[in-house]
Amino acid sequence: MGYAELFAAYGEKYLLAIFETLSMTVLCFAIAMVISVLVTVMRVSPIKPLRLVGDLYVQVFRNIPGVALLVIVAYALPYLKVLMPWKVCVEVVVVLLASAFGSENFMTGINAIGVGQIEAARSIGLTFTQTMTKIVIPQALRSAVLPMTNLLIATMLTTALGSQVPLNPQELTGLVSFITTRETAIGILPFTVSAVIYAGFSVLLGLAGNAIDRKVRVIR
Amino acid sequence: MSAEIPVIELRNVDKHYGPLHVLQHINLSVGKGEVLVLIGPSGSGKSTLCRTINRLETIDSGEILIEGQPLPQEGKELAQMRAEIGMVFQSFNLFAHKTILDNVTLGPREVLKMPKDAAEKEAMELLTRVGVDAQAHKVPAQLSGGQQQRVAIARSLAMHPKAMLFDEPTSALDPEMINEVLDVMVELAREGMTMVVVTHEMNFARRVSNRVVFMADGQIVEEGTPSEFFDNPQTARAKEFLDSIRGH
Ligand SMILES: Nc1ncnc2c1ncn2[C@@H]1O[C@H](COP(=O)(O)OP(=O)(O)O)[C@@H](O)[C@H]1O
Ligand SMILES: [Mg+2]
Repeated sequence: MGYAELFAAYGEKYLLAIFETLSMTVLCFAIAMVISVLVTVMRVSPIKPLRLVGDLYVQVFRNIPGVALLVIVAYALPYLKVLMPWKVCVEVVVVLLASAFGSENFMTGINAIGVGQIEAARSIGLTFTQTMTKIVIPQALRSAVLPMTNLLIATMLTTALGSQVPLNPQELTGLVSFITTRETAIGILPFTVSAVIYAGFSVLLGLAGNAIDRKVRVIR
Repeated sequence: MSAEIPVIELRNVDKHYGPLHVLQHINLSVGKGEVLVLIGPSGSGKSTLCRTINRLETIDSGEILIEGQPLPQEGKELAQMRAEIGMVFQSFNLFAHKTILDNVTLGPREVLKMPKDAAEKEAMELLTRVGVDAQAHKVPAQLSGGQQQRVAIARSLAMHPKAMLFDEPTSALDPEMINEVLDVMVELAREGMTMVVVTHEMNFARRVSNRVVFMADGQIVEEGTPSEFFDNPQTARAKEFLDSIRGH
């Protein structure tokens, strides 16, 4: 079987899988960004218990392998009567992982701001919330563009966890498993196609990230 | 002046950093329109003193009063109170992601809830006054140190503070930029601003200050008029310090 036959037989499934991978990526990344901001605000808040919870969140989800987390969410949580559709299980895992790393990216951005600007903001009467929303978060967001671009790419690759549970339609990696199980003689061809698609999107995202970074970067 | 309530008053203020007794029973009052120069060796607690007046640092005991009112504890009320005391830092601390104009209008808009037009109009007047109006639409990194520090002064003034604290405002500047910042401060003093200035610029102190306060090891060791202090210091600590900054 060559490319022509592969696409004739599975072209439509590939298109569906691309859509599935991309839509999961966008959804998970968007939710992860919101959670990262919240967790990061907790981590820099003046309230100690909030800081502890924020730090714990990051330490836990940054240090568990994705597959292990998926096993917990998909196969252990049902015993606690938390039963979610397969796809939601995968998305929850991807969001947990991405938000932990996202918060680390924001923390790096915040540390680059320096305590001086924060003190200046307080000295002109801004409250903690105003200092966060007007000074800290905007700068952290801008200086996080490049690391967040990398995280977006990593998020896309992490949706391949979807291959470990039954999804319908399948995402790109799940589709590869599906095809190789059915076409035993096919070799690495389906892998190559998926890999090229992943790589193509990664390059595009990287270029877009660089362009955005050049526009919004804070000159220091 | 004596009958009036001081703009800033510290009563028996103590502060520790762990085992370090960084402020020891500080009593100090600054009257309306007074320009007080705070001088002393590095590590003597001058910055800490300024920072406690603005409540950027807490104190362990004692009282700090602004126009006779004690500083509130935390929260919104304290934030408002901070705006009543302007602060200019050694390292300028302009908001790096905002234009010069936005640096100056942020406080008035967010804290005083001024409309955008009015805030920008006043900010431009202030920037003109400190001589950086031509840079209004640049970002801080595009300005020289002297220009940045003048913007920082304008940013504080935009909040109509009752007093201003300057913590070594010219120490981070190249020599040729020191005077442009001092000139703005002299002008402010002439207009009657109440000021506490940490500086080793003796000429500035002689020209505009009413009183020099000498600190060492967390204590106020000596105070007097600039000529009393610089020409005839009373304590050994002060003599030693003055010799060291005069390069003897
Ligand atoms: N946040 C801090 N934690 C611990 N020690 C501090 C802190 N800030 C200042 N200090 C110490 O307090 C002393 C006074 O510092 P500072 O007020 O900055 O002195 P000055 O401005 O007169 O040079 C110094 O010994 C300094 O090391
Ligand atoms: Mg200092």
